[in-house]
Amino acid sequence: MTEETKTQTEKNSEDIKELMIARLEVTSSEKSFSIGGGPNLTRDELIQHVRKGDEIGQKVTEIELTFLRALKDGTLLGQILDAGQGK
Amino acid sequence: MGKILLITRPEHDTGTRYLSRWSERIIDEAKNKGVRIIDLHKEQASRKRFLGTLTKSNANLVVLNGHGDENTVSGHDLQIILMETDGPITNGKIIFARACRSAKILGPKLVANGTIVYLGYKEDFWFKYNNSDISRPLKDKTAALFLEPSNYLAISLLKMHSAGEANKKSQGLYRKSIERLLVEGPISEDYDNIRILFWNMINQVCIGREDATF
Repeated sequence: MTEETKTQTEKNSEDIKELMIARLEVTSSEKSFSIGGGPNLTRDELIQHVRKGDEIGQKVTEIELTFLRALKDGTLLGQILDAGQGK
Repeated sequence: MGKILLITRPEHDTGTRYLSRWSERIIDEAKNKGVRIIDLHKEQASRKRFLGTLTKSNANLVVLNGHGDENTVSGHDLQIILMETDGPITNGKIIFARACRSAKILGPKLVANGTIVYLGYKEDFWFKYNNSDISRPLKDKTAALFLEPSNYLAISLLKMHSAGEANKKSQGLYRKSIERLLVEGPISEDYDNIRILFWNMINQVCIGREDATF
């Protein structure tokens, strides 16, 4: 990876982190998160994990990006429709 | 021999308390169907008790609630109750693990060793709850968005649907939750939960014989 690409990747990563924090900050602080394999977290605790970029913070980002990619490439609707085939 | 459901319901933190309380709906359905229920609740959800009961009871359906990772599922106080080396005693069983990531490695390994079918999550299973409803999880409408669909997987199996159908029907309920929030739009206090519902839905899998029934 060239120095320029590396810098751009880091910038993108920071941008995504800021986007995640901004999104979480507008959600209700009256609700908490339960992660099956880990702790129960308040909204503000989750924001701290995103800020630190630790494993939980990265997972939050992965969930968001999975959703946004599915929305962007059009597979979101397909997967939602497919989920109803058993009904 | 009648049908037997073995269910584990650890309760050592808010997350497991929610799973445990919501599992009462699964137990109610089993009662309605005349299924014999072995309920390993709280401290009873220990490895020793789980393995002993599974060996002696010949339970056909096993529902596990708790924390998990790629290789294990835990019971009360995070004691590991199911791991890869338990293959021989899960032979011929249908297993649903409402736990994180166990369908990634543990599930396929157990199926390779004789478990009929393993239903669970390839990634972390997330849900949200209202802080004001902690003392009454079954009244929590936010948690219901997540736990009703996952509950339905076990309930559908009890209704004698095949494992593959049960998974699809459960995913269909996730879809309904997502659709409802999309229709309500950003004014809904749960609108931001769409991404987590989508995550749980796409990571809930059925490994093994999809035509297997309880």
